[in-house]
Amino acid sequence: MKRMWWLALVFIVVLILPLITGEFWVHVLVEILILGLFAASFNMIFGYMGQLSFGHAAYYGVGAYATGLLMVKGSVPLPICLLASMIVAGLCALILGYFCVRLTGIYFAILTLAFGQLIYYIIFQWYSFTGGDDGLQGIIPPDVLLSANAYYYFTLIIVVAALIAIWRISESPFGYTMRAIRENTERTRFIGINIRRYMLINFVIAGIFAGLAGALWGPFNRSIAPDLCTWHQSGIPVFMTVIGGPFNFFGPMVGSVIYTFLMAFVTGFTEYWPLTIGLIITCVVLFMPGGVLGLCEKKIRVFRSRAPQLDPIETTEGKSSGYGG
Amino acid sequence: MDVSLLIAQFMSGLSRGMMLFLIASGLSLIFGVMNILNFAHATLWLVGAYCCYTFWYVLQESALGLWVSIGLAAIALAVIGWIIEVILIRRVYDRDLPEQLLLTYAMVLIVGDLIKLTWGVEDRIIVRPNLVSGPIFLFDIPLDSYFIVVILVGISVAIGLWLFLQKTRYGHIVRAAVFSREMVSALGIPIPRIYTGVFVLGIFIAGLAGAVQAPVGSITLGMDMAIIIQAFCVVVIGGFGSLLGTLVGSIIVGEVYAFSILFWPQGALVLIFIVTAVILIVRPWGLFGTPMRV
Amino acid sequence: MKIKKFKVLVIIFSVALLAGSASLQSALAAEPYHLGVALAITGTGALYCKDGVDAISLAVEEINAQGGFLGKHPIKLFTRDTHTKPDVAVREAKDLILRDKVRAILGTYSSACAVAIKPIAREYKVLHIAAISNSENITKINYSPYTYQVVPNSYMQAKAVVLGVAELAKRKGWKEYVTIASDYEWGRSTQQNTVSLLKQMAPELKLKKEFWPRLGETQFTSYITAIMAQKPDFVVGSVAAKDNVAWMQQAKAYGFFEKIPYPGSLISVSELIVQAKTLTRGLVGLCRAPFFAHMDNPMMANFVKEFRAKYGRYPSDWAVMEYDAVYALKQGIDKAGSIDTEKVKDAMKSMTIETTRGKLVFRAIDNQLSCSSYLGVVADDPNYAFPIYHDLVEIKGPDSWRPEAEIVDARLKEKK
Repeated sequence: MKRMWWLALVFIVVLILPLITGEFWVHVLVEILILGLFAASFNMIFGYMGQLSFGHAAYYGVGAYATGLLMVKGSVPLPICLLASMIVAGLCALILGYFCVRLTGIYFAILTLAFGQLIYYIIFQWYSFTGGDDGLQGIIPPDVLLSANAYYYFTLIIVVAALIAIWRISESPFGYTMRAIRENTERTRFIGINIRRYMLINFVIAGIFAGLAGALWGPFNRSIAPDLCTWHQSGIPVFMTVIGGPFNFFGPMVGSVIYTFLMAFVTGFTEYWPLTIGLIITCVVLFMPGGVLGLCEKKIRVFRSRAPQLDPIETTEGKSSGYGG
Repeated sequence: MDVSLLIAQFMSGLSRGMMLFLIASGLSLIFGVMNILNFAHATLWLVGAYCCYTFWYVLQESALGLWVSIGLAAIALAVIGWIIEVILIRRVYDRDLPEQLLLTYAMVLIVGDLIKLTWGVEDRIIVRPNLVSGPIFLFDIPLDSYFIVVILVGISVAIGLWLFLQKTRYGHIVRAAVFSREMVSALGIPIPRIYTGVFVLGIFIAGLAGAVQAPVGSITLGMDMAIIIQAFCVVVIGGFGSLLGTLVGSIIVGEVYAFSILFWPQGALVLIFIVTAVILIVRPWGLFGTPMRV
Repeated sequence: MKIKKFKVLVIIFSVALLAGSASLQSALAAEPYHLGVALAITGTGALYCKDGVDAISLAVEEINAQGGFLGKHPIKLFTRDTHTKPDVAVREAKDLILRDKVRAILGTYSSACAVAIKPIAREYKVLHIAAISNSENITKINYSPYTYQVVPNSYMQAKAVVLGVAELAKRKGWKEYVTIASDYEWGRSTQQNTVSLLKQMAPELKLKKEFWPRLGETQFTSYITAIMAQKPDFVVGSVAAKDNVAWMQQAKAYGFFEKIPYPGSLISVSELIVQAKTLTRGLVGLCRAPFFAHMDNPMMANFVKEFRAKYGRYPSDWAVMEYDAVYALKQGIDKAGSIDTEKVKDAMKSMTIETTRGKLVFRAIDNQLSCSSYLGVVADDPNYAFPIYHDLVEIKGPDSWRPEAEIVDARLKEKK
């Protein structure tokens, strides 16, 4: 019940925020939403499946390019483009994921990285089709979504819907199977679960949502570039998730809020944003494993254990495991 | 297409491969022993190049100065490597893979910006000594004479590392550590000391590589980003922790690149990643590696 | 309870802050002129852009010494780094427009960045003056009335090269050639224009192979050996900035320029200065705005003097053109009598302006300045510590730009 109350409050704030801030901050809010969805999709692989994907931007980029190409070359309406992006990114994840889920640990990370760079270089080199290094320009959303506020509400609806879908998936038996695989692959296999198939399905779903996030990016920025698929871009959801906390459903979104706001703020007065975020990440890794939400949870637990217990501690999904212990 | 030109192309691939070998050998060594994938390896390589420039500049831009600077840069990097190991890497020995990766990734960003703060955004150019500035002709095939230096340094590092690993007691311990850390530790050898030594050695080679690279073209920000993933490819193809594998892997990557420029220029970089992905799928431990703990 | 109070405080505080900043802005409105600069401080273009940024600040200082635009609007500069990447350029352009509230953006290095910024500038009705990036697609197609170009575009440059190369080829009996061009908007556009113009003017020449190193390539070795393997009669290059320096240095190490003629490729004053010691003398090069061609123009003489006094070096093409860009804007504002962007934009239409390169005019159909391209032979000069161009040929803008009919055609095709 308590959580619902918080959610409602957050929702109201999110609804009225663009009305009171300037247009610049509305753009930052749209970025938060899109990157938050991107990070949430990444966390399906990282937090729930326990594998680090370092090439998640490939699906994000493929989604962005699917929408971009359809809109620029085919003048296809935006909703159909979004759908197409999800399908194309999903297919891409299906083909590449088929190989990735055969590996775990460092090999999984490197193979996803290699595939990510492969996709990047294909887009980068295919000048006649993708525009190569120039990217694609003139991805203009339909007239009703032209203003920053309109696009914000449009993105909000889609991202919230997608987050609810991810939430439902993570709370379904499928989601709990993923956690079982993360915690103990061997044992899960013994109960007769086809690990690879489950991992592949999860990988594809994550790819689909990354593709959706990417699809929202092009019309927002009016253009896309191949850099959307590089390993630097793949690093962003990793950063966000680690900052926010990988073992909480809202971790990636909180990470996106912190990361994007901070970036908008810091780049306002210094060009040394990489140094700033690098130091933050170092501190989080060294002193705050579990991220901001992990820290909050711990604090709350300590607080509650001291105070007389009023209600039982709510179980959060995917309790902190041995990770980072 | 006549043979001499194929040879010229082969030589350009070889020099590119040697460059990669110099970077990747340290990377492979560090990963093989410490199980840490060092994203920041190429960034430190770039620091080596900038250091070489600074020493060369201080030494009056002389020919002898350049060779001295290359050595000094490598030593400077060994010191930097030691500092990084003690301050940062040591803290994450027991952590999980994602945290180690993130830490070295964060180092890429931090060191990258520190380079910008220290040396500024302008390019640095080292004017080569006359001896290695022009072309030399091998059966009428033009070759950049400086690449002879690069290839020689690459071969000496390969031989030096091989001798070290095969013939010295310390090398034996390191090789044993690649195979089983627990065993080495059980024999009463202090693992942290081995780790520190290996990390410093790896960064020393990276510094040497950067310094040797410096006179090839101009030294610019962001060079590290372009090369690190290719160095990963080399390590993956050759096999983590295998010296021979790294050598073969770097020559493969260099040659694939050089020859695809000749026959299929658009596919040069794509091909490298296809090769890498295939190796990872078929033989995750690489051509010359042994299946390892994951 | 404590938390709640804190939250209320935060909300009150932020509302107050917002209201405060809004009222502050309205009080000062219309006074300073916010001028945005989006250049490649890092990345491939950095070699050219440092000069550009320096020249802009010099021009701004000069104008501010007279009280600013119209004598009453002091210029406030906002400089951003595009990293030579279109996606970063878009982000920075939006930042400049939305956060810094600039009225005009000067830039960019990369043509891809310019093409990406153009629609953003049009959407927010902000002036966009391109002074380094010169792909003709910036003004030829997808026309924006807010975008002006004060640099000879890729068609004009290609035309200048082809005029020179076609004649050389006839004289020397050349048959086959190879191109090497950076794989992005500018390289593509320049290469295509060069090849198609060569086909018209010297149909006997055959294009043997095209090479497309990526933007930001640092290792050209494999390209150099591959080009030499083709044994072409000559090579035409469209590589710029850091890439150009790397390419030419590495090619020199292979004895490339002694073996294969490399006529009419971009060698700007930046390259002349940076490679003063190593550049092969006798190369026929192309540049966009060499200061030494116009030292008889008092505005140029003064600019060179001031630039040297302030920065201790000679200005490159890029410095010259960015300086002209600021003064083009100034003359537009003077003519409009207002800093209102709509009025300035209309005033600049087909306007004749005073530049360091003489009196030039913006063509009405595409807002392209009628500036010249320059071809010459790299040679040492007793007056300078670096080689300059001798036998300089100036190909005037109106003699080299694309005929208007072709532009109309291209735009019609685009509509379909």
